[in-house]
Amino acid sequence: MHPILADRGRLALYLAAWAPVGGLIAAALALPDRRAAGEAIGLALPLALSGAFLCLAVWPLCRSLPLGATDPARLVATHAAGATVTCVLWLLVGAAAAGLMERLPAFAGAAVRYRRDIPMLLLAGALVFVLAALAHYLMIAFERSRAAERAALELQVLARDAQLRALKAQVNPHFLFNSLNSISALTSVDPARAREMCVLLGDFLRGGLRVGEREQIPLSEELALAQSYLAVEQVRFGPRLRVETEVEPQARGCLVPPLLLQPLLENALNHGIAHCLSGGAVRLGARVCAGQLELQLANPCSADRPRGRGTGMGLANVRARLAALHPGDARVDLQERDGVFRVDVHLPAVGAEAAAAETASAEAATAVAATAVTPTTTAPAGGEPTREDPRDA
Amino acid sequence: MPDPRPLRAVIVDDEELARAVLREHLAAHPDVQVVAECVNGFEAIKAVSAHAPDLLLLDIQMPKLDGFEVLQLLDRDVAVIFVTAYDEHALRAFAVHAVDYLLKPFSAQRLGEALAQARQRVGRPAAVPPSRLAAAARRPGEWLARLIVRDGAQVHVIPAEAIDSIQAQDDYICIRAHGRRHLKQQTLAEIEGQLDPSRFVRIHRSWILNIDRLARLEPATRDSRTAVLRDGTQLPVSRAGHARLMELL
Repeated sequence: MHPILADRGRLALYLAAWAPVGGLIAAALALPDRRAAGEAIGLALPLALSGAFLCLAVWPLCRSLPLGATDPARLVATHAAGATVTCVLWLLVGAAAAGLMERLPAFAGAAVRYRRDIPMLLLAGALVFVLAALAHYLMIAFERSRAAERAALELQVLARDAQLRALKAQVNPHFLFNSLNSISALTSVDPARAREMCVLLGDFLRGGLRVGEREQIPLSEELALAQSYLAVEQVRFGPRLRVETEVEPQARGCLVPPLLLQPLLENALNHGIAHCLSGGAVRLGARVCAGQLELQLANPCSADRPRGRGTGMGLANVRARLAALHPGDARVDLQERDGVFRVDVHLPAVGAEAAAAETASAEAATAVAATAVTPTTTAPAGGEPTREDPRDA
Repeated sequence: MPDPRPLRAVIVDDEELARAVLREHLAAHPDVQVVAECVNGFEAIKAVSAHAPDLLLLDIQMPKLDGFEVLQLLDRDVAVIFVTAYDEHALRAFAVHAVDYLLKPFSAQRLGEALAQARQRVGRPAAVPPSRLAAAARRPGEWLARLIVRDGAQVHVIPAEAIDSIQAQDDYICIRAHGRRHLKQQTLAEIEGQLDPSRFVRIHRSWILNIDRLARLEPATRDSRTAVLRDGTQLPVSRAGHARLMELL
């Protein structure tokens, strides 16, 4: 539907703008010796009204023939044909009006006088058609630039939203508070490790900031980030946390949304390991199978852990991001069996061909990260011998 | 002037480093004696029985039993300072008359203030035992996910969905789950208020039923019915109980 027809106010304004055009037509028709003023007005009124609506019909034509993207010859030819049809229709309206008026004795001979003025009206009609086409092209260009602006803004908001959510997930306040508390403990017990922990925390936060801005990153980078997160948590959990990773070299180059693993790892630790008295192993696997990247995260879980506190949010985030990126092509499956909680993520293996080139450097990078995660036993503070410390036993 | 009688304290935290911070800060207070360190709630309950401490420095997020569940199971009055990274439990903490609520990481000065509070509290037993308060403290809109029952030295954790029925028995409630019966000191009205009302219904003055277990209803007398559970158990249903049951079904 034409934007002018779609809005009553706009239509009224448009028709009002045609009133002077109607006056002009009437004036031209009433030129000396042509016809009486009454007859001129009687003709000008239907001509102006039909002209106004016929000009709106130029809109679909302009839309189907965008300037710059259409062959100029075709553009001119189509518009010429359009102008011809429009002008003929317009003149027929005028002829009908003249025919009707002639039935009244006062306007006898109106049809003959009208036929005499057809060349002049044809010229005027062609001119108005060209003007209408130009006006419509201007309007389309204006609307398009506004739509593009709005789309760009919307996209920006969405991207910012995703980044913010990822960051929020990353800097889980409790993760930060617990890490700071660990550092607070280490400063006197083991200053060197306190410093190391600061570096690990810094690495993780910086890494998250860096990748958060990108839409997709290679899995190798995501794994390096996951390793730095686990390295920080390792200090807190101590020997209760073990990490086992098994990643196919082919999978490393596949693209994933940044911080995809983050909420899953947080769940594995906070709802899995944290509720097991003696802890356990978090197993992280990645492989490429039949064009699909398969990520798997498994952790032990306690059957009587408190349920339904905050697990859903992180998972919903993962699902939403994958659905936006690969509509209908990605899925997240959850399974709890025999005290093991498993998350399986399947998504199209995009960018796997670049894996070969990246494998070498990625392996070097994760090798460094892996050494950082290797459990290091914390030396307990020099407590008094009367105190019970299970780690000493 | 130091108090002649030292404050006997127990540290409960599943993280070694978190215990280390407390241990270190407490070393600066000669009137505080750490009598035990516990890595989980079970140990904490045992330590409180064994050492009869004055003060419990208690983490909230721990495996198996959280800090509030530990309080429910304590058999003696003890001053409690919660030490946690989570600020959302603060209201609940004061509902159970905790002496103070320390947020990790905390300063030595902040711990000093909490200890000063604790010293005032020690020797003046609480009007309501903390175990009773802890059972009632629940976040609004959140239903009990599991029941904690102490049976001598043993602690049973019963997930809410595993409960078949609960029967009032004087000052106790008898919880039936997994084909076993557990006794807990609590009133039926109290536990009724804590359980998810879309799953648990008071079918009788002295019975709460998990509606997932209901197989059928049979008429008993003119005014009452009998609920037959999936395992064949028969429970009485009063007229008011029947109305509540129908509303839910």
